[in-house]
Amino acid sequence: MDTTSIRNFSIIAHIDHGKSTLADRLLQITGTISERDMQEQVLDDMELERERGVTIKASAVRMSYQANDGQTYEMNLIDTPGHVDFSYEVSRALQACEGAILVVDSTQGIEAQTLANLYMALEQDLEIIAVVNKIDLPAARPDEIAQEIEDLIGIDAADVIQVSAKTGEGVAQILEAIVEKIPPPKGASDTPARALIFDSHYDSYKGVIAYVRVMEGVITKTDTLRLIASNVVTTPVEIGIFNPHMTPVDRLNAGEVGYVATGLKTVRECRVGDTITLGVDGAAHALPGYKQAKPMVFAGFYPTDNDAYIDLRDALEKLQLNDAALVYEPETSQALNFGFRVGFLGLFHMEIIQERLEREYDLDILATAPSVEYQVVLRSGDILTIHSPAELPDPSVVDEIREPWMAIEIFTPEEFIGPIMDLVTKKRGVYFSMEYLDSKRVQLKYTIPLAELIVDFYDRLKSGTRGYASLDYHFDGFQVDRLVKLDVLVNKQPVDALAMIVHEDDAYHKGQRLVSRLKRLIPRQLYEVPIQAAVGKHVISRANVKALRKDVLAKCYGGDVTRKKKLLEKQKKGKKRLKMIGNVEVPQEAFMAVLRLDDDD
Amino acid sequence: MPCQTTKPNHTPLSERVPDTACYFHIPFCRTRCSYCDFNTYTGQDSLIPHYMHALATEVRLVGVSATVEVTTLFFGGGTPSLIPANDLNVVLDSCRQSFELAGDAEISLEANPGTISRSYLYSLRQYGVNRLSIGMQSAHARELNLFERTHQLGDVRLAVEAARDAGFENISLDLIYGIPLQTLDDWRISLDTALDMRPDHLSLYALGVEDGTPLHGWIADGRFPSPDPDLAADMYEWASERLAQAGFEQYEISNWARPDFACQHNLRYWRNTSYLGFGAGAHGHAVFSGTSAVRYANVLHPADYIRRIQAQTGPCPFPLSDAVAWSEHLDGRQVMADTMFMGLRLIREGISPGVFKARFGDDLWQVYGAILDRLIAAGLVERTADERVRLTSRGRLLGNQVFAEFV
Ligand SMILES: Nc1nc2c(ncn2[C@@H]2O[C@H](COP(=O)(O)OP(=O)(O)OP(=O)(O)O)[C@@H](O)[C@H]2O)c(=O)[nH]1
Ligand code: SF4
Ligand SMILES: [Mg+2]
Repeated sequence: MDTTSIRNFSIIAHIDHGKSTLADRLLQITGTISERDMQEQVLDDMELERERGVTIKASAVRMSYQANDGQTYEMNLIDTPGHVDFSYEVSRALQACEGAILVVDSTQGIEAQTLANLYMALEQDLEIIAVVNKIDLPAARPDEIAQEIEDLIGIDAADVIQVSAKTGEGVAQILEAIVEKIPPPKGASDTPARALIFDSHYDSYKGVIAYVRVMEGVITKTDTLRLIASNVVTTPVEIGIFNPHMTPVDRLNAGEVGYVATGLKTVRECRVGDTITLGVDGAAHALPGYKQAKPMVFAGFYPTDNDAYIDLRDALEKLQLNDAALVYEPETSQALNFGFRVGFLGLFHMEIIQERLEREYDLDILATAPSVEYQVVLRSGDILTIHSPAELPDPSVVDEIREPWMAIEIFTPEEFIGPIMDLVTKKRGVYFSMEYLDSKRVQLKYTIPLAELIVDFYDRLKSGTRGYASLDYHFDGFQVDRLVKLDVLVNKQPVDALAMIVHEDDAYHKGQRLVSRLKRLIPRQLYEVPIQAAVGKHVISRANVKALRKDVLAKCYGGDVTRKKKLLEKQKKGKKRLKMIGNVEVPQEAFMAVLRLDDDD
Repeated sequence: MPCQTTKPNHTPLSERVPDTACYFHIPFCRTRCSYCDFNTYTGQDSLIPHYMHALATEVRLVGVSATVEVTTLFFGGGTPSLIPANDLNVVLDSCRQSFELAGDAEISLEANPGTISRSYLYSLRQYGVNRLSIGMQSAHARELNLFERTHQLGDVRLAVEAARDAGFENISLDLIYGIPLQTLDDWRISLDTALDMRPDHLSLYALGVEDGTPLHGWIADGRFPSPDPDLAADMYEWASERLAQAGFEQYEISNWARPDFACQHNLRYWRNTSYLGFGAGAHGHAVFSGTSAVRYANVLHPADYIRRIQAQTGPCPFPLSDAVAWSEHLDGRQVMADTMFMGLRLIREGISPGVFKARFGDDLWQVYGAILDRLIAAGLVERTADERVRLTSRGRLLGNQVFAEFV
């Protein structure tokens, strides 16, 4: 089949610059979605995406477009998330494309993820179509931003398409530009089929659904298929395309994007990044695939109810199919029993995973505070990599501890340079450079320990700059520092799940804050509960949760026993959500207390 | 459709209820107190005659299918003392006609100081009301103002005096503690002032700050501090000692009485026996042969209540009337659990294994041994020399921790 009428492209941008809204207009103009089924950000179909108004998953959809040249084109669009924690979704989507539409909000200009995502697209040699969006807004500065794009990115301002994804103004031009500028896919159809799996999800009837981009050859619905890396052979239940819902087709040709319902049951058999080929006379070698995402933060996930361990394990396995960045391994905690240490790309990612597990799999999860990966050099010369403070060996056998540092870039109006400098310094960051983007906006570069970045850096950056600053980061390297483990003892017992690794200079201050926070978060129990923070044997801070003295309903009003029973039932239920540590009841928030130790309260 | 119209086909339920209490709810007040979330209404006084008529009718409707002995009667509110004595008597008469009223029946009425005249009190006595419960709440003008009560301390003194003169031999005072800004000394003065009036019974209630009340709003926006639970605990413990010295027996978590003056009506609640509820929002509980039961409640608003009773779409199975809004059947297990957590409120009496066995045929320790052992180990519950199970002095303040185990 002829691939010259196929166009594969992603929409990329900084968060909230209007990617999904633009996708809406493209689907509408091409008639892919009927007016009746249209809703805002229609591709954000996950409950969480709709609630939060943010794209979490990349979604692919096929459109058919009749261009001004009279020809009909098959267009495969992939809408991507803008949040930095989901950049792995973007990078995989880009590998299935020949071009990318780079959207820039004309009221905001180029932001951190605009550049980060652009560079990813350029690395893949994609053709870029630049678009400034939201020109309907009074604060829009389309010409200025087009010029900024020319200056910073090198795309001629005259070639920047000005649109409003909301009203649809200018959007038709994008479709024409796609036809003209983005090259058709190159893969030959007469070689053995090779299709790259760029995403997947689990369907209880059809097994793992692999989202594929056919790079070369043809897959038909009757072919027996082989996954090259896992070396699994299967006969697909069906193959199809997204338009936008899953629609079966007879064949997927070179250059096309679609899905293969594999009938396979586990992620081990069908991994994102693997290559699908034919079972008979297939290709010998896999496509390059993807680098596995590198988790940045780690947290323990434990079922609130110990009996739900197996359910949690199954849920993680299923969820991993739909989130290739998710990694986990079993972990045991003295305090929390059996659970998993889960790796995430960032705190937002962690929050989303926890919510998805709770909603999609109906689990109650207790998450411990996130931590980063440390390299511990032992006296013996061995290097130990740990993902949880609890794993830190006794200081007597430790030679040095190295922690991950990140290179960060902050885009901000110049008036916030001062507050940002203060914030970074407070977080042990080191200044690297400053560059003016235009007369008012600057790009600041720093390096900073990841452990400081994950805590509440982003929120503080946003609040300190009235939302104007944007942030991007990437791994820089490990650095040695004077780090110590801060233990927390509840009722004289060290609680492994509450331990944290901190800089020696901060230990005292953080220990005090942590203890006073825990004192407020741990409900009063039947007896007094001492809480202590300690480094080694040295107790830094101590406070007591006083024993509960009064908890009784005074009045049985007019014989209304039912109301009384309801109150007692509610009280009992609330108790169930607490985790028993020894014989102390500890709420989830206590485990997160370490996250906000810098708050002034 | 207020209630099922099908008649039970076996022994009439009422025959399996040997005796009962009757509660009459009077949902009218002059003004609403700032802490109050009770089912009561202001500015609806024009409904009172119709309401009282409906109340007498409801008593007849329920009574017609029953031959039950009534041992106690209680007019609660709201403000029962707003109701003309004659109207109350119509309800009492209706009760006498429809049930077998015990000769020594305790007949209580809640009264707000400032609403009761001497002649009113004489009439009440004449009609058979023999127990008066007066809402004193505090001896301090500042606290009464915070509560937006419509009386002052002097009114309470006058009311008690007048009630004695009218021949009331059983007078109770209600007090509230754990009030924002209240000190231990403030509390001591209130309680001592109450004792000076020589009441026969005292109810001491810790202030509950309920959602939606003005007081809740004032605390939420910082105009007043939240009550300090530890201070309230100190007040409670001090009061327990003080009242013991003064010759009062504590028979329930919030209730003290001179010997033989425990409120018989309220005891029926805590012993988990039957009480019929009449009036808007009234709750009732009928226990059949001791072991299965129905709990029910009437519609909340007096106007709805009057309409329902007037419409009379019944007949309704005992003990429900046309005004019922909600009812729930309880099986033996649930009655047992209710018996436990209500009964443990009784400080001295507690739960006796013998009574338990006689009522349910089961051994207390077999059914609740595990829970009781845990509570005893935690120091909240104790076993007395005569094998009763009851709250420890610490457990009295932590009752919910105990009761929650049984729901
Ligand atoms: N006025 C106006 N608002 C727009 C336009 N395009 C998008 N928006 C609004 O901008 C917000 C973000 O739009 P989205 O389409 O969800 O942005 P996104 O880039 O997909 O966001 P993420 O996927 O979370 O990165 C929404 O409130 C949109 O309604 C536009 O052209 N004009
Ligand atoms: S008198 Fe009693 S029922 Fe009436 S408003 Fe005051 S507290 Fe509420
Ligand atoms: Mg989006």
